Amino acid sequence: MREKLKDSVFKIWIGLSTSLVFIVVVYIFLYIFINGAGSINGEFLFSAPKGMPIGSEGGIFPAIVGSLLLMVIACAFASILAISTAIYLVFYCTSEKVKRLIHLIIQCMSGVPSIILGLFGYTLLVLHLGFGRSLISGGITLGVMIFPYIQVRVEKTLIEVDKAVITSSYALGVSKVYTLFKLIFPMCKFDIVSAITLAGGFAIGAAAPVILTAAVIFAPVPESIFSPVMALPFHLYILTGEGISLEKAYGTALVLMLILLVINIISVILNFTRKEHE
Amino acid sequence: MRKIREKIFEILIKMLTLFSVLILAFVVIFIFKESLTFFKEVSLLKFITGRRWNPLGPPEELSILNIIWGTVYVSLVAIAIALPIGIGTAVVLSCYTNRNVKRLIRGIVDILAGVPSVIYGFVGLLVVVKFFEVNLSLASGESVLSGGIVLSVMLLPFIVSTCDESMEKIYREYSQSSRALGVSKSYMIRNLLLPASKRSILASVVLALGRGMGETMAVMMVIGNASIIPRLLGKAQTIPSLIALEMGMAEVGSLHYHALIASGFVLMIMLLIINGLLYVIKNRMDI
Repeated sequence: MREKLKDSVFKIWIGLSTSLVFIVVVYIFLYIFINGAGSINGEFLFSAPKGMPIGSEGGIFPAIVGSLLLMVIACAFASILAISTAIYLVFYCTSEKVKRLIHLIIQCMSGVPSIILGLFGYTLLVLHLGFGRSLISGGITLGVMIFPYIQVRVEKTLIEVDKAVITSSYALGVSKVYTLFKLIFPMCKFDIVSAITLAGGFAIGAAAPVILTAAVIFAPVPESIFSPVMALPFHLYILTGEGISLEKAYGTALVLMLILLVINIISVILNFTRKEHE
Repeated sequence: MRKIREKIFEILIKMLTLFSVLILAFVVIFIFKESLTFFKEVSLLKFITGRRWNPLGPPEELSILNIIWGTVYVSLVAIAIALPIGIGTAVVLSCYTNRNVKRLIRGIVDILAGVPSVIYGFVGLLVVVKFFEVNLSLASGESVLSGGIVLSVMLLPFIVSTCDESMEKIYREYSQSSRALGVSKSYMIRNLLLPASKRSILASVVLALGRGMGETMAVMMVIGNASIIPRLLGKAQTIPSLIALEMGMAEVGSLHYHALIASGFVLMIMLLIINGLLYVIKNRMDI
Protein backbone atom coordinates (compact mmCIF):
# COMPACT_ATOMS: atom_id res chain seq x y z
CA MET A 1 0.00 0.00 0.00
CA ARG A 2 2.72 2.43 1.00
CA GLU A 3 4.68 1.39 -2.02
CA LYS A 4 1.73 2.23 -4.21
CA LEU A 5 1.40 5.68 -2.66
CA LYS A 6 5.09 6.38 -3.15
CA ASP A 7 4.78 5.24 -6.71
CA SER A 8 1.91 7.61 -7.46
CA VAL A 9 3.58 10.57 -5.74
CA PHE A 10 6.71 9.93 -7.74
CA LYS A 11 4.84 9.74 -11.02
CA ILE A 12 2.86 12.89 -10.30
CA TRP A 13 6.09 14.70 -9.43
CA ILE A 14 7.93 13.87 -12.63
CA GLY A 15 4.82 14.40 -14.75
CA LEU A 16 4.23 17.82 -13.24
CA SER A 17 7.86 18.86 -13.63
CA THR A 18 7.96 18.04 -17.30
CA SER A 19 4.64 19.71 -18.01
CA LEU A 20 5.76 22.77 -16.07
CA VAL A 21 8.80 23.12 -18.32
CA PHE A 22 6.56 22.91 -21.37
CA ILE A 23 4.08 25.40 -19.96
CA VAL A 24 6.77 27.94 -19.08
CA VAL A 25 8.29 27.84 -22.58
CA VAL A 26 4.92 28.11 -24.31
CA TYR A 27 3.82 30.84 -21.91
CA ILE A 28 6.89 33.02 -22.48
CA PHE A 29 6.59 32.72 -26.24
CA LEU A 30 2.85 33.30 -26.41
CA TYR A 31 3.10 36.19 -23.96
CA ILE A 32 5.61 38.02 -26.11
CA PHE A 33 4.09 37.10 -29.46
CA ILE A 34 0.53 38.02 -28.54
CA ASN A 35 1.40 41.25 -26.77
CA GLY A 36 4.07 42.29 -29.24
CA ALA A 37 2.30 41.53 -32.49
CA GLY A 38 0.14 44.66 -32.27
CA SER A 39 3.03 47.08 -32.02
CA ILE A 40 4.98 45.82 -35.00
CA ASN A 41 4.45 47.68 -38.24
CA GLY A 42 6.52 49.36 -40.93
CA GLU A 43 7.01 52.51 -38.95
CA PHE A 44 8.13 50.65 -35.85
CA LEU A 45 10.68 48.62 -37.77
CA PHE A 46 12.09 51.31 -40.03
CA SER A 47 12.10 54.59 -38.17
CA ALA A 48 14.12 56.04 -35.33
CA PRO A 49 12.73 56.41 -31.80
CA LYS A 50 10.94 59.68 -31.22
CA GLY A 51 8.87 61.39 -28.60
CA MET A 52 9.48 62.68 -25.12
CA PRO A 53 10.94 60.78 -23.28
CA ILE A 54 12.71 59.37 -26.27
CA GLY A 55 11.39 55.95 -27.28
CA SER A 56 7.77 56.58 -26.38
CA GLU A 57 6.97 57.00 -30.07
CA GLY A 58 8.56 56.06 -33.36
CA GLY A 59 10.47 52.88 -34.00
CA ILE A 60 13.58 50.92 -33.25
CA PHE A 61 15.45 50.88 -36.56
CA PRO A 62 18.80 52.12 -35.14
CA ALA A 63 18.61 49.48 -32.40
CA ILE A 64 18.05 46.67 -34.89
CA VAL A 65 20.98 47.83 -37.04
CA GLY A 66 23.14 48.41 -33.96
CA SER A 67 22.47 44.95 -32.58
CA LEU A 68 23.17 43.27 -35.92
CA LEU A 69 26.42 45.21 -36.35
CA LEU A 70 27.53 44.32 -32.82
CA MET A 71 26.82 40.70 -33.61
CA VAL A 72 28.78 40.78 -36.86
CA ILE A 73 31.83 42.39 -35.24
CA ALA A 74 31.69 40.00 -32.29
CA CYS A 75 31.42 36.98 -34.58
CA ALA A 76 34.25 38.15 -36.84
CA PHE A 77 36.55 38.87 -33.93
CA ALA A 78 35.72 35.69 -32.03
CA SER A 79 35.68 33.29 -34.97
CA ILE A 80 39.09 34.29 -36.35
CA LEU A 81 40.66 33.71 -32.95
CA ALA A 82 38.58 30.66 -32.07
CA ILE A 83 39.18 28.85 -35.36
CA SER A 84 42.93 29.60 -35.19
CA THR A 85 43.10 28.30 -31.64
CA ALA A 86 41.19 25.18 -32.61
CA ILE A 87 43.47 24.54 -35.60
CA TYR A 88 46.53 25.05 -33.44
CA LEU A 89 45.30 22.64 -30.79
CA VAL A 90 44.28 19.93 -33.24
CA PHE A 91 46.96 20.15 -35.95
CA TYR A 92 50.02 21.95 -34.61
CA CYS A 93 50.25 21.56 -30.87
CA THR A 94 52.46 18.63 -29.95
CA SER A 95 52.83 19.16 -26.22
CA GLU A 96 50.12 17.65 -24.03
CA LYS A 97 50.93 20.14 -21.28
CA VAL A 98 50.33 23.18 -23.48
CA LYS A 99 47.11 21.65 -24.73
CA ARG A 100 45.85 21.08 -21.22
CA LEU A 101 46.83 24.58 -20.15
CA ILE A 102 44.97 26.21 -23.06
CA HIS A 103 41.92 24.05 -22.42
CA LEU A 104 41.97 25.00 -18.75
CA ILE A 105 42.15 28.71 -19.55
CA ILE A 106 39.29 28.47 -22.06
CA GLN A 107 37.18 26.49 -19.62
CA CYS A 108 37.77 29.03 -16.86
CA MET A 109 36.87 31.78 -19.27
CA SER A 110 33.55 30.26 -20.22
CA GLY A 111 32.60 30.43 -16.53
CA VAL A 112 33.33 34.13 -16.18
CA PRO A 113 30.01 36.00 -16.07
CA SER A 114 29.28 38.46 -18.84
CA ILE A 115 29.16 41.43 -16.48
CA ILE A 116 32.82 40.88 -15.57
CA LEU A 117 33.67 40.94 -19.27
CA GLY A 118 31.65 44.14 -19.53
CA LEU A 119 33.65 45.58 -16.67
CA PHE A 120 36.86 44.58 -18.44
CA GLY A 121 35.70 46.06 -21.73
CA TYR A 122 34.63 49.27 -20.00
CA THR A 123 37.88 49.88 -18.13
CA LEU A 124 40.27 48.73 -20.85
CA LEU A 125 38.61 49.51 -24.16
CA VAL A 126 36.28 52.37 -23.31
CA LEU A 127 38.48 54.24 -20.86
CA HIS A 128 42.15 53.25 -21.14
CA LEU A 129 42.30 52.82 -24.90
CA GLY A 130 39.88 55.68 -25.43
CA PHE A 131 37.48 53.93 -27.81
CA GLY A 132 34.56 55.34 -25.86
CA ARG A 133 31.18 53.66 -25.81
CA SER A 134 31.26 52.36 -29.33
CA LEU A 135 30.54 49.61 -31.77
CA ILE A 136 34.13 48.42 -31.60
CA SER A 137 34.32 48.25 -27.77
CA GLY A 138 31.03 46.39 -27.58
CA GLY A 139 31.89 44.09 -30.46
CA ILE A 140 35.22 43.04 -28.98
CA THR A 141 33.72 42.52 -25.51
CA LEU A 142 30.97 40.33 -26.94
CA GLY A 143 33.62 38.59 -29.04
CA VAL A 144 35.57 37.64 -25.91
CA MET A 145 32.32 36.37 -24.44
CA ILE A 146 31.48 34.03 -27.34
CA PHE A 147 35.07 32.94 -28.02
CA PRO A 148 34.98 29.83 -25.78
CA TYR A 149 31.63 28.83 -27.23
CA ILE A 150 32.91 28.82 -30.83
CA GLN A 151 36.32 27.38 -29.99
CA VAL A 152 34.94 24.33 -28.18
CA ARG A 153 32.57 23.47 -31.03
CA VAL A 154 35.07 24.02 -33.85
CA GLU A 155 37.68 21.95 -32.06
CA LYS A 156 35.18 19.14 -31.60
CA THR A 157 34.35 19.21 -35.33
CA LEU A 158 38.02 19.17 -36.33
CA ILE A 159 38.76 16.23 -34.02
CA GLU A 160 35.88 14.28 -35.51
CA VAL A 161 37.33 14.49 -39.03
CA ASP A 162 38.38 11.01 -40.08
CA LYS A 163 42.05 10.59 -39.14
CA ALA A 164 42.58 8.33 -42.18
CA VAL A 165 41.77 11.19 -44.53
CA ILE A 166 44.41 13.38 -42.93
CA THR A 167 47.13 10.73 -42.82
CA SER A 168 46.50 9.68 -46.42
CA SER A 169 46.71 13.28 -47.48
CA TYR A 170 50.03 13.73 -45.69
CA ALA A 171 51.26 10.43 -47.07
CA LEU A 172 50.61 11.64 -50.60
CA GLY A 173 52.95 14.52 -49.88
CA VAL A 174 50.16 17.09 -49.66
CA SER A 175 51.13 19.99 -47.41
CA LYS A 176 49.39 20.75 -44.14
CA VAL A 177 47.98 24.08 -45.33
CA TYR A 178 46.64 22.55 -48.53
CA THR A 179 45.08 19.66 -46.60
CA LEU A 180 43.43 22.13 -44.24
CA PHE A 181 42.00 24.42 -46.88
CA LYS A 182 41.06 21.95 -49.61
CA LEU A 183 40.11 18.92 -47.59
CA ILE A 184 39.24 19.63 -43.99
CA PHE A 185 37.51 23.01 -44.24
CA PRO A 186 35.12 21.90 -46.99
CA MET A 187 34.22 18.91 -44.83
CA CYS A 188 33.55 21.00 -41.71
CA LYS A 189 32.28 24.23 -43.15
CA PHE A 190 28.64 23.71 -42.24
CA ASP A 191 29.48 22.81 -38.67
CA ILE A 192 31.76 25.79 -38.28
CA VAL A 193 29.26 28.25 -39.74
CA SER A 194 26.51 26.73 -37.60
CA ALA A 195 28.64 27.19 -34.46
CA ILE A 196 29.33 30.81 -35.37
CA THR A 197 25.66 31.51 -36.07
CA LEU A 198 24.55 30.11 -32.73
CA ALA A 199 27.24 32.12 -30.96
CA GLY A 200 25.94 35.18 -32.80
CA GLY A 201 22.50 34.55 -31.34
CA PHE A 202 24.07 34.36 -27.92
CA ALA A 203 25.85 37.69 -28.52
CA ILE A 204 22.83 39.56 -29.84
CA GLY A 205 20.77 38.76 -26.75
CA ALA A 206 23.46 39.69 -24.25
CA ALA A 207 22.73 42.94 -22.50
CA ALA A 208 25.13 43.09 -19.57
CA PRO A 209 28.38 43.64 -21.52
CA VAL A 210 26.68 46.03 -23.92
CA ILE A 211 25.32 48.32 -21.19
CA LEU A 212 28.84 49.24 -20.16
CA THR A 213 30.66 49.18 -23.46
CA ALA A 214 28.48 50.15 -26.38
CA ALA A 215 24.88 51.05 -25.88
CA VAL A 216 23.40 54.48 -25.35
CA ILE A 217 19.78 55.49 -24.93
CA PHE A 218 19.61 57.17 -28.30
CA ALA A 219 21.97 57.18 -31.26
CA PRO A 220 21.39 57.29 -34.99
CA VAL A 221 22.51 54.41 -37.19
CA PRO A 222 26.29 54.32 -36.54
CA GLU A 223 28.57 55.93 -39.13
CA SER A 224 31.85 54.39 -38.02
CA ILE A 225 33.00 51.66 -35.68
CA PHE A 226 33.82 54.34 -33.11
CA SER A 227 30.24 55.63 -32.89
CA PRO A 228 28.01 54.70 -29.99
CA VAL A 229 25.08 52.50 -30.95
CA MET A 230 21.64 51.47 -29.79
CA ALA A 231 21.08 47.80 -29.05
CA LEU A 232 17.83 45.87 -28.79
CA PRO A 233 18.37 44.32 -25.32
CA PHE A 234 19.45 47.64 -23.84
CA HIS A 235 16.58 49.48 -25.51
CA LEU A 236 14.15 46.93 -24.08
CA TYR A 237 15.69 47.39 -20.63
CA ILE A 238 15.40 51.17 -20.80
CA LEU A 239 11.82 51.08 -22.11
CA THR A 240 10.66 48.83 -19.25
CA GLY A 241 13.04 49.97 -16.51
CA GLU A 242 12.21 53.63 -16.93
CA GLY A 243 8.56 52.88 -17.71
CA ILE A 244 8.68 54.76 -21.00
CA SER A 245 6.36 52.72 -23.15
CA LEU A 246 5.13 49.23 -22.49
CA GLU A 247 3.70 48.85 -25.98
CA LYS A 248 7.07 49.64 -27.60
CA ALA A 249 8.77 47.32 -25.11
CA TYR A 250 6.57 44.40 -26.18
CA GLY A 251 7.40 45.17 -29.79
CA THR A 252 11.13 45.35 -29.10
CA ALA A 253 11.04 42.04 -27.22
CA LEU A 254 9.22 40.40 -30.11
CA VAL A 255 11.71 41.74 -32.69
CA LEU A 256 14.59 40.40 -30.58
CA MET A 257 12.90 36.99 -30.34
CA LEU A 258 12.21 36.94 -34.08
CA ILE A 259 15.85 37.70 -34.91
CA LEU A 260 16.92 34.86 -32.63
CA LEU A 261 14.38 32.58 -34.26
CA VAL A 262 15.81 33.37 -37.70
CA ILE A 263 19.35 32.73 -36.45
CA ASN A 264 18.33 29.37 -35.00
CA ILE A 265 16.47 28.35 -38.13
CA ILE A 266 19.58 29.14 -40.19
CA SER A 267 21.68 26.92 -37.99
CA VAL A 268 19.14 24.08 -38.17
CA ILE A 269 19.13 24.34 -41.98
CA LEU A 270 22.94 24.26 -41.99
CA ASN A 271 22.84 21.11 -39.91
CA PHE A 272 20.40 19.50 -42.36
CA THR A 273 22.53 20.44 -45.37
CA ARG A 274 25.53 18.86 -43.70
CA LYS A 275 23.67 15.61 -43.12
CA GLU A 276 22.57 15.49 -46.73
CA HIS A 277 26.15 15.97 -47.87
CA GLU A 278 27.31 12.99 -45.88
CA MET B 1 57.82 29.09 -52.08
CA ARG B 2 55.46 26.49 -50.70
CA LYS B 3 57.65 26.01 -47.65
CA ILE B 4 57.45 29.73 -46.91
CA ARG B 5 53.68 29.75 -47.17
CA GLU B 6 53.47 26.80 -44.80
CA LYS B 7 55.74 28.55 -42.35
CA ILE B 8 53.82 31.83 -42.53
CA PHE B 9 50.52 30.06 -41.92
CA GLU B 10 51.93 28.17 -38.97
CA ILE B 11 53.32 31.34 -37.41
CA LEU B 12 50.03 33.16 -38.01
CA ILE B 13 48.04 30.41 -36.32
CA LYS B 14 50.43 30.34 -33.39
CA MET B 15 50.30 34.08 -32.94
CA LEU B 16 46.50 34.19 -33.06
CA THR B 17 46.31 31.39 -30.51
CA LEU B 18 48.75 33.15 -28.23
CA PHE B 19 46.74 36.35 -28.63
CA SER B 20 43.47 34.66 -27.66
CA VAL B 21 44.97 32.95 -24.63
CA LEU B 22 46.57 36.20 -23.55
CA ILE B 23 43.29 38.10 -23.83
CA LEU B 24 41.58 35.53 -21.66
CA ALA B 25 44.31 35.57 -19.05
CA PHE B 26 44.47 39.33 -19.30
CA VAL B 27 40.84 39.76 -18.22
CA VAL B 28 41.61 38.15 -14.89
CA ILE B 29 44.92 39.94 -14.36
CA PHE B 30 43.44 43.27 -15.36
CA ILE B 31 40.53 43.08 -12.93
CA PHE B 32 42.92 41.98 -10.21
CA LYS B 33 45.34 44.84 -10.86
CA GLU B 34 42.59 47.45 -10.97
CA SER B 35 41.08 46.29 -7.70
CA LEU B 36 44.48 46.32 -5.95
CA THR B 37 44.32 50.11 -6.04
CA PHE B 38 41.15 49.90 -4.01
CA PHE B 39 42.42 47.36 -1.51
CA LYS B 40 45.32 49.67 -0.71
CA GLU B 41 42.83 52.16 0.68
CA VAL B 42 40.17 49.90 2.15
CA SER B 43 41.12 46.52 3.55
CA LEU B 44 39.64 43.46 1.90
CA LEU B 45 38.25 42.29 5.23
CA LYS B 46 36.41 45.54 5.83
CA PHE B 47 35.15 45.51 2.25
CA ILE B 48 33.51 42.11 2.52
CA THR B 49 32.37 42.22 6.16
CA GLY B 50 30.93 45.73 6.35
CA ARG B 51 27.27 46.22 5.65
CA ARG B 52 26.95 49.74 4.35
CA TRP B 53 27.19 50.72 0.71
CA ASN B 54 26.93 54.44 0.40
CA PRO B 55 29.15 55.65 -2.42
CA LEU B 56 27.79 59.17 -2.54
CA GLY B 57 28.56 59.83 1.12
CA PRO B 58 29.37 61.64 3.21
CA PRO B 59 30.73 59.61 4.84
CA GLU B 60 31.62 57.50 1.85
CA GLU B 61 31.12 53.90 2.92
CA LEU B 62 31.90 51.02 0.63
CA SER B 63 31.28 47.55 1.98
CA ILE B 64 29.40 44.81 0.28
CA LEU B 65 28.38 42.13 2.76
CA ASN B 66 24.67 42.75 2.15
CA ILE B 67 25.26 42.60 -1.57
CA ILE B 68 27.23 39.35 -1.34
CA TRP B 69 24.35 37.88 0.70
CA GLY B 70 21.90 39.15 -1.88
CA THR B 71 23.85 37.47 -4.68
CA VAL B 72 24.01 34.12 -2.90
CA TYR B 73 20.45 34.32 -1.54
CA VAL B 74 18.80 34.88 -4.93
CA SER B 75 20.75 32.00 -6.45
CA LEU B 76 19.88 29.65 -3.59
CA VAL B 77 16.19 30.49 -3.84
CA ALA B 78 16.36 29.90 -7.59
CA ILE B 79 18.06 26.53 -7.13
CA ALA B 80 15.55 25.48 -4.47
CA ILE B 81 12.77 26.10 -6.99
CA ALA B 82 14.50 24.75 -10.07
CA LEU B 83 16.07 21.60 -8.60
CA PRO B 84 12.94 19.45 -8.06
CA ILE B 85 11.55 20.48 -11.44
CA GLY B 86 14.87 19.91 -13.15
CA ILE B 87 15.42 16.47 -11.63
CA GLY B 88 11.86 15.44 -12.46
CA THR B 89 12.31 16.46 -16.07
CA ALA B 90 15.68 14.73 -16.26
CA VAL B 91 14.12 11.50 -14.96
CA VAL B 92 11.42 11.63 -17.60
CA LEU B 93 13.98 12.47 -20.23
CA SER B 94 16.32 9.63 -19.38
CA CYS B 95 13.91 6.83 -18.45
CA TYR B 96 10.43 7.38 -19.82
CA THR B 97 10.86 8.57 -23.38
CA ASN B 98 11.66 7.18 -26.78
CA ARG B 99 14.02 8.87 -29.22
CA ASN B 100 11.55 11.32 -30.75
CA VAL B 101 10.04 12.54 -27.50
CA LYS B 102 13.53 12.86 -26.10
CA ARG B 103 14.50 15.08 -28.98
CA LEU B 104 11.37 17.20 -28.47
CA ILE B 105 12.01 17.72 -24.74
CA ARG B 106 15.68 18.46 -25.33
CA GLY B 107 14.65 20.98 -27.99
CA ILE B 108 12.32 22.69 -25.53
CA VAL B 109 15.02 22.84 -22.87
CA ASP B 110 17.48 24.23 -25.43
CA ILE B 111 14.99 26.94 -26.32
CA LEU B 112 14.78 27.85 -22.66
CA ALA B 113 18.58 28.18 -22.62
CA GLY B 114 18.58 30.31 -25.75
CA VAL B 115 16.15 33.00 -24.61
CA PRO B 116 18.15 36.15 -23.74
CA SER B 117 18.23 37.12 -20.09
CA VAL B 118 16.74 40.54 -20.74
CA ILE B 119 13.59 38.81 -22.04
CA TYR B 120 13.34 36.82 -18.82
CA GLY B 121 13.75 40.03 -16.87
CA PHE B 122 11.07 41.70 -18.96
CA VAL B 123 8.53 38.91 -18.60
CA GLY B 124 9.47 38.54 -14.93
CA LEU B 125 8.82 42.20 -14.27
CA LEU B 126 5.47 42.20 -16.03
CA VAL B 127 4.22 38.83 -14.80
CA VAL B 128 5.92 37.71 -11.59
CA VAL B 129 6.47 41.09 -9.96
CA LYS B 130 2.99 42.23 -10.93
CA PHE B 131 1.49 39.02 -9.58
CA PHE B 132 3.07 39.64 -6.17
CA GLU B 133 1.93 43.23 -6.14
CA VAL B 134 -1.65 42.41 -7.02
CA ASN B 135 -2.20 39.18 -5.10
CA LEU B 136 -0.05 39.53 -2.02
CA SER B 137 -0.70 43.25 -1.71
CA LEU B 138 2.96 43.95 -1.10
CA ALA B 139 4.18 47.50 -1.42
CA SER B 140 6.58 46.31 -4.05
CA GLY B 141 6.71 42.99 -5.82
CA GLU B 142 10.40 43.46 -6.53
CA SER B 143 11.99 40.99 -4.16
CA VAL B 144 14.45 38.17 -3.67
CA LEU B 145 11.62 35.73 -4.28
CA SER B 146 10.73 37.25 -7.68
CA GLY B 147 14.42 37.21 -8.59
CA GLY B 148 14.62 33.57 -7.52
CA ILE B 149 11.59 32.57 -9.58
CA VAL B 150 12.85 34.29 -12.73
CA LEU B 151 16.34 32.95 -12.23
CA SER B 152 15.05 29.42 -11.61
CA VAL B 153 13.65 29.29 -15.14
CA MET B 154 17.04 30.30 -16.49
CA LEU B 155 18.88 27.67 -14.43
CA LEU B 156 16.56 24.80 -15.43
CA PRO B 157 18.39 23.95 -18.67
CA PHE B 158 21.72 23.58 -16.82
CA ILE B 159 20.20 21.30 -14.19
CA VAL B 160 18.27 19.20 -16.69
CA SER B 161 21.16 18.63 -19.06
CA THR B 162 23.73 17.87 -16.33
CA CYS B 163 21.43 15.38 -14.56
CA ASP B 164 20.08 13.80 -17.73
CA GLU B 165 23.55 12.98 -19.02
CA SER B 166 24.52 10.69 -16.15
CA MET B 167 21.01 9.39 -15.43
CA GLU B 168 20.76 8.03 -18.93
CA LYS B 169 24.06 6.21 -18.50
CA ILE B 170 22.97 4.70 -15.18
CA TYR B 171 19.56 3.74 -16.52
CA ARG B 172 21.03 1.93 -19.49
CA GLU B 173 23.40 0.06 -17.23
CA TYR B 174 20.79 -1.27 -14.80
CA SER B 175 17.45 -1.27 -16.57
CA GLN B 176 17.72 -4.77 -18.02
CA SER B 177 18.87 -6.52 -14.88
CA SER B 178 16.29 -4.80 -12.72
CA ARG B 179 13.56 -5.61 -15.21
CA ALA B 180 14.70 -9.23 -15.22
CA LEU B 181 14.38 -9.26 -11.43
CA GLY B 182 10.79 -8.10 -11.79
CA VAL B 183 11.42 -4.73 -10.14
CA SER B 184 9.05 -2.02 -11.27
CA LYS B 185 10.51 0.90 -13.17
CA SER B 186 9.49 3.53 -10.68
CA TYR B 187 10.90 1.49 -7.75
CA MET B 188 14.17 1.10 -9.58
CA ILE B 189 14.40 4.82 -10.30
CA ARG B 190 13.56 5.82 -6.74
CA ASN B 191 15.84 3.37 -5.00
CA LEU B 192 18.64 2.91 -7.46
CA LEU B 193 18.86 5.62 -10.08
CA LEU B 194 18.29 8.69 -7.91
CA PRO B 195 20.75 7.65 -5.17
CA ALA B 196 23.28 6.72 -7.83
CA SER B 197 23.05 10.10 -9.52
CA LYS B 198 23.60 12.01 -6.28
CA ARG B 199 26.92 13.30 -7.47
CA SER B 200 25.70 14.59 -10.79
CA ILE B 201 22.80 16.30 -9.03
CA LEU B 202 25.34 17.95 -6.77
CA ALA B 203 27.38 18.95 -9.81
CA SER B 204 24.30 20.50 -11.40
CA VAL B 205 23.59 22.48 -8.21
CA VAL B 206 27.11 23.87 -8.13
CA LEU B 207 27.01 24.70 -11.84
CA ALA B 208 23.66 26.43 -11.42
CA LEU B 209 24.94 28.34 -8.40
CA GLY B 210 27.82 29.71 -10.45
CA ARG B 211 25.57 30.66 -13.33
CA GLY B 212 22.98 32.22 -11.06
CA MET B 213 25.46 34.34 -9.15
CA GLY B 214 26.85 35.77 -12.37
CA GLU B 215 23.49 36.56 -13.94
CA THR B 216 22.91 40.26 -14.45
CA MET B 217 19.94 41.47 -16.44
CA ALA B 218 17.10 39.18 -15.44
CA VAL B 219 17.89 39.52 -11.75
CA MET B 220 18.55 43.24 -11.91
CA MET B 221 15.15 43.94 -13.42
CA VAL B 222 13.15 42.21 -10.70
CA ILE B 223 14.92 42.45 -7.33
CA GLY B 224 14.64 46.15 -6.68
CA ASN B 225 18.35 46.88 -6.27
CA ALA B 226 18.50 48.18 -2.71
CA SER B 227 21.62 47.27 -0.78
CA ILE B 228 19.88 46.35 2.45
CA ILE B 229 19.97 43.08 4.36
CA PRO B 230 18.17 40.72 1.97
CA ARG B 231 14.90 39.11 3.05
CA LEU B 232 12.78 36.73 1.01
CA LEU B 233 10.06 39.26 0.33
CA GLY B 234 12.23 42.36 0.47
CA LYS B 235 14.41 44.10 -2.03
CA ALA B 236 18.05 43.19 -2.42
CA GLN B 237 21.08 43.88 -4.55
CA THR B 238 23.47 41.53 -6.31
CA ILE B 239 27.06 42.16 -7.35
CA PRO B 240 26.42 41.96 -11.12
CA SER B 241 23.49 44.35 -10.95
CA LEU B 242 25.48 46.70 -8.72
CA ILE B 243 28.20 46.88 -11.36
CA ALA B 244 25.79 47.24 -14.27
CA LEU B 245 23.84 50.02 -12.55
CA GLU B 246 26.59 52.10 -11.02
CA MET B 247 29.64 51.66 -13.24
CA GLY B 248 28.44 54.15 -15.82
CA MET B 249 27.81 56.81 -13.17
CA ALA B 250 30.94 56.35 -11.09
CA GLU B 251 33.56 59.00 -11.70
CA VAL B 252 36.55 57.41 -13.41
CA GLY B 253 39.42 56.83 -10.99
CA SER B 254 37.33 57.60 -7.90
CA LEU B 255 37.13 55.28 -4.92
CA HIS B 256 33.61 54.33 -5.98
CA TYR B 257 34.88 53.28 -9.42
CA HIS B 258 37.60 51.12 -7.91
CA ALA B 259 35.17 49.68 -5.36
CA LEU B 260 32.96 48.48 -8.20
CA ILE B 261 35.88 46.76 -9.89
CA ALA B 262 36.83 45.27 -6.54
CA SER B 263 33.32 43.89 -6.12
CA GLY B 264 33.69 42.34 -9.57
CA PHE B 265 36.92 40.83 -8.31
CA VAL B 266 35.19 39.38 -5.25
CA LEU B 267 32.50 37.87 -7.49
CA MET B 268 35.14 36.37 -9.75
CA ILE B 269 36.98 34.79 -6.78
CA MET B 270 33.71 33.31 -5.49
CA LEU B 271 32.95 31.87 -8.92
CA LEU B 272 36.49 30.55 -9.24
CA ILE B 273 36.05 28.65 -5.96
CA ILE B 274 32.69 27.32 -7.15
CA ASN B 275 34.15 26.21 -10.48
CA GLY B 276 37.04 24.53 -8.67
CA LEU B 277 34.49 22.65 -6.58
CA LEU B 278 32.65 21.64 -9.73
CA TYR B 279 35.91 20.38 -11.24
CA VAL B 280 36.57 18.22 -8.16
CA ILE B 281 33.03 16.80 -8.15
CA LYS B 282 33.15 16.01 -11.86
CA ASN B 283 36.53 14.32 -11.60
CA ARG B 284 35.35 12.12 -8.74
CA MET B 285 32.26 11.28 -10.78
CA ASP B 286 34.22 9.48 -13.45
CA ILE B 287 35.96 7.10 -11.06
